[in-house]
Amino acid sequence: MKKLLSLLLMLAMVITIVPAVVAETDLEPITLTAFVGGPGTQAYADNKIYKKIEEEFGVTFEFEFLAGDLDEKLQLMTQDLTDLPDLFDGGNSAEKLIDAGALINLLDYVNPDDTPNLWAHIEPQKNRIITKDEDTGEDVMYIIPNYGLPDGPQIALSVGGPAFFIQKQVLAWDNYPQIHTLDEYFDLIERFLEANPTNADGTPYIGFDILCEDWRRFCMINPVQHLMGRPNDGEVLIDINSEDYATETFINRVYAKPYYQKLNEEFHKGIISPDTFVMTYDQYIAQLSTGIVLGMFDQAWDFGDATNALKVDGKDENTYVALGLIYDEDDVADLLPEGWTIEEHYLNGSLPNLDRGFGISVSCKCPERIIAMWERMMDADWQLLLNWGVEGEDYSIVDGRLTMTAEQYANTQDVEWQRHNKARYFFESSPKRQGWILDGDLAGNCWEIGNQDEIVFGLMNDYDKQFLAAYGYSKFADFVNPPIDLAPYGEAWQIDKAPIEKDYNDFLKIQDTELPQVIMASTEEFDAKWDAFVEHINPSCEVYSNFMHEEVLKLVAAYFGD
Amino acid sequence: MTNAAYRDRKFHRRHDVVFPIVNTIILVLLMFATLYPVVNTIAYSFNDGTDALKGGISLWPRVWSLKSYTSILQDPAVYQAAWISASKTVIITVLNLFWTSMLAYALARREYVLRTFITTVMVLTMYINAGLIPNYLLISKTLNLKNSYWVYIIPTMFSCFNMIVLRTYIAGLPEALVESARIDGAGDIRTFWQIIFPLCKPVLATVALFVAVGSWNSWFDTHLYCGSKQNLISLQYLLKMKLATTQASANAANASVDALANQSVAKTTPVTIRCAITVISTVPILVVYPFLQRYFVTGMVLGSVKG
Amino acid sequence: MTETIRSNGSALRRTKHGFFRTLIRQWQLAAMSVPMLLYVLLFNYAPMWGWVNAFRDYGNRKLVAKGVTPYNGIANFRWLFGREDFYESIRNTLAMSVINLVFGTVSAILLAVLLNEVRRKGFKRTVQTVTYLPHFLSMVIVVAMAQNIFASNGPINALLTGVGLTQTPVFWLGEGEYFWWLVGVINVWKEVGWGTIIYISAMTSIDPALYEAASIDGAGRFQRIIHITLPGIKSTFVILLIMNIGHLMEAGFEIQYLLGNGLTANFSRTIDIFVLEYGIQQADMGVATAAGMFKSVVAIILLVGANFIAKRLGEDTLL
Repeated sequence: MKKLLSLLLMLAMVITIVPAVVAETDLEPITLTAFVGGPGTQAYADNKIYKKIEEEFGVTFEFEFLAGDLDEKLQLMTQDLTDLPDLFDGGNSAEKLIDAGALINLLDYVNPDDTPNLWAHIEPQKNRIITKDEDTGEDVMYIIPNYGLPDGPQIALSVGGPAFFIQKQVLAWDNYPQIHTLDEYFDLIERFLEANPTNADGTPYIGFDILCEDWRRFCMINPVQHLMGRPNDGEVLIDINSEDYATETFINRVYAKPYYQKLNEEFHKGIISPDTFVMTYDQYIAQLSTGIVLGMFDQAWDFGDATNALKVDGKDENTYVALGLIYDEDDVADLLPEGWTIEEHYLNGSLPNLDRGFGISVSCKCPERIIAMWERMMDADWQLLLNWGVEGEDYSIVDGRLTMTAEQYANTQDVEWQRHNKARYFFESSPKRQGWILDGDLAGNCWEIGNQDEIVFGLMNDYDKQFLAAYGYSKFADFVNPPIDLAPYGEAWQIDKAPIEKDYNDFLKIQDTELPQVIMASTEEFDAKWDAFVEHINPSCEVYSNFMHEEVLKLVAAYFGD
Repeated sequence: MTNAAYRDRKFHRRHDVVFPIVNTIILVLLMFATLYPVVNTIAYSFNDGTDALKGGISLWPRVWSLKSYTSILQDPAVYQAAWISASKTVIITVLNLFWTSMLAYALARREYVLRTFITTVMVLTMYINAGLIPNYLLISKTLNLKNSYWVYIIPTMFSCFNMIVLRTYIAGLPEALVESARIDGAGDIRTFWQIIFPLCKPVLATVALFVAVGSWNSWFDTHLYCGSKQNLISLQYLLKMKLATTQASANAANASVDALANQSVAKTTPVTIRCAITVISTVPILVVYPFLQRYFVTGMVLGSVKG
Repeated sequence: MTETIRSNGSALRRTKHGFFRTLIRQWQLAAMSVPMLLYVLLFNYAPMWGWVNAFRDYGNRKLVAKGVTPYNGIANFRWLFGREDFYESIRNTLAMSVINLVFGTVSAILLAVLLNEVRRKGFKRTVQTVTYLPHFLSMVIVVAMAQNIFASNGPINALLTGVGLTQTPVFWLGEGEYFWWLVGVINVWKEVGWGTIIYISAMTSIDPALYEAASIDGAGRFQRIIHITLPGIKSTFVILLIMNIGHLMEAGFEIQYLLGNGLTANFSRTIDIFVLEYGIQQADMGVATAAGMFKSVVAIILLVGANFIAKRLGEDTLL
């Protein structure tokens, strides 16, 4: 046993200590320390992409990932600004890094002359990315967004974000109807349930799930803005047609009531179960994976695993399609803000992932080398390498098209394979090209594997093909309207709520506690419960609305370059 | 024999038959109640990840798969981390027993003039919490233990709770033991090591178990101080990271899961990984436990020592 | 002030000016204890400077980042005690920790006694090993199981409706009034075996001769339990009780965080969760430290109080 242990220890030491093949480069080899504000897996020493990075740039990496609470970890790390990782991705709390003065201003290095690639990359959105320091008034950019700056026209193949989802079999059962309003949606679910109370195994179907665990409460509290015809602004409704971008929380408004009244009715019809308000995310995924939930409001990325489970089981008819539901304007005409008209807009323009990705810390000794590396990596050869891999090994080019076999594609999704063959965590947090390849021999292909026609449609299953054909659609995004232009302020959920966090927290907690009670209230009590809820939440709504309005106006002003 | 006395004896005898049966039944039922979650966890850990998402697995895997285990155990980093965890657990346990038991003895001596003062200072440590940041600064800056193996050892050499457990036990030992050692001319240090320490085996085994389990299961110290040093991370930290990574990839939307379904790639999911992690990290404790259990299941025969 | 103490087998008078002389004579005891005293002064007391943060304003993150954290008196405490839900979290914490303390202690002692009565060693070991296993399961797993067991269509409700105790399923997980008790039950399930370890090791110090003597005197099993076993673990029980009374302000947060939901939030929010929500996630160190300080002070008051009562009752004491 002892021998075995020491053998293993030695093995591990050898693996960790022996440096990779000495790099052939004129640059002095350096090791960059990198922190990623999310979980991750270390790459193996033989990783072929990291090897190529070392060969060309003389750079190796030492990664630290996050295992515990992000905010707590960042708070501790920023206690000492002289000992920070060189590349610092603060995840969803990167604002705290910026506030703490942990990151350098990248504009000292990024400009049209020295870094034409990077500059061209951010230029179209520079009014959103470059901000003014509140104290000094100088232009600052701490992080080049790691996502959301695509080349060429926007690609929208499916709804990746929020929508009302419904099982494909429900639509098929009703002979592929067009469903556009809340009433139509629930009416269909009711009729389906009446005709099919259980699945083939005899398990009862659940009509509609409302996930409300912790931060996933958005499934319960976000729908109203979409029913009103706006894409995702978080918890506020913004009138982009009004002169001063009128901004208000919607949950406490008269036009929110019809949605929750509808849910209340459906609750009493048994379409919604009380268990939905106490279920955890795992239980929710379990329900979805068994194919017994007919519909829910959610964001597509939130239940990818469930979809996968259904497909592995061959239950393609139980997977979901995203619908863009809106209020029937006639029903809510009296309740709308003045001049408001409802038109469905679930898809929004490409949104730069502001302040997300690697920043360079103030304790980094060689920011210029990192910038130079990123600059070079924006070239097509490096982007192909980082996105698609090594030609011939990981993908092939056939008649000017990038293709992968099913096996090669499956590899890219295999975490173990990635550790040998992808610079995954470096690339995820770095600036990158998305969208269309615009120049060269490969023009017309996509930078990202997941957007390439050959992958998306080439590997689509027969049920989905037939389902789309029945509707006469070419892609699942056709169920909703095409994306609208991104509003000048972006999407309001991105706004950092730090200055009013305590009120914001109250705002969320009241909804967590009282909205389920409103939905479950007896029919006679519903109005009283709703009114009580509105009364309780009004004070924090007021603070929140005012704050958001100010922030939206600031963003709009910055966007138009005032 | 009077009637009353006879009835009494009979009553007792009947009790002696009934009680063990009832007792056995209660304990067996309790075993089932506590075994269920354990077996259930094991069943999940051997189930296919994607299938397990559906829930409903009870005592036996529905779709057998070793993927959760192989995905963890094929990573060489696990063995390095296990070595770190095992070595620090052994060192911390030994150091804790050494310091804690000695202190417990000193504080069990009623004549010791600093007894009340030191006891009070020690006990209060269990209740005062200065917060994370001052502790972090002390360990990482003042003592400069960040990214060092010693950060696992030095801050965790002592636990007041265990000291109190030991002190209570030592205080319950017959005073005559110490007295007779004194008469033989032994000082406190010798009395402790030669007479008291060997008698404390049951409670030392208990404390060793508490310390070892605590150390083996800790991940937070790695998270705070050693997360960037691959050769210093502990097993629990690594396992926690594996779980978190699986959870994160669960959320990654991907437009073409069809390709995966067609390839029927066995995926790991948080549900099964969590269970496999539990099994992997508990087995070493289970292996060590019987050695410690010997000491506290078998009662020590103090009578003979006393005589 | 004098105190009679025993040393070297004879009674001595210790007076105040004799303190150092005594200490020098007790150098061996000092050598065994002072190193650890210095150790805790460094690792537990030195960081207490952090408590000054309870009196500073960390409310504005941008100012905090610039190092501007002015003293604001007791504003952080004011804020805490001005909030209804802080009182609510104190209530929840106390309720759940009292339930845990009572359920946990009673069940552990009961099981320890039952185990102590088992004659066959193999069976005894098996029971002990099996019952402590759930201690090693993560709370996530245990809570997930409990959620299935207590679900509307779960086995508990099936049983209740089956025997006709209720017509409609009980909404165990969604009614605040059940929450504390659910936490109590789950904690017992998970920790009962682990809790016995300390009592069983205490029972090993009971002289077997006492049991023999009692048997000869005709004492029945229950009399032996009441007159020998329980008194044998009394000091352990009392000491643990005093310690745990000091811990009444700690009801944890993991189980509440996992088992709680919006509907039960007003019953599941403990002080630790409150601090997490308003202190850590929002990086308001001032409020978090103030709450931590408040907890420490209450804990010490409870501890000293419990210790005092034990002393008055003539029991073993912690201090």
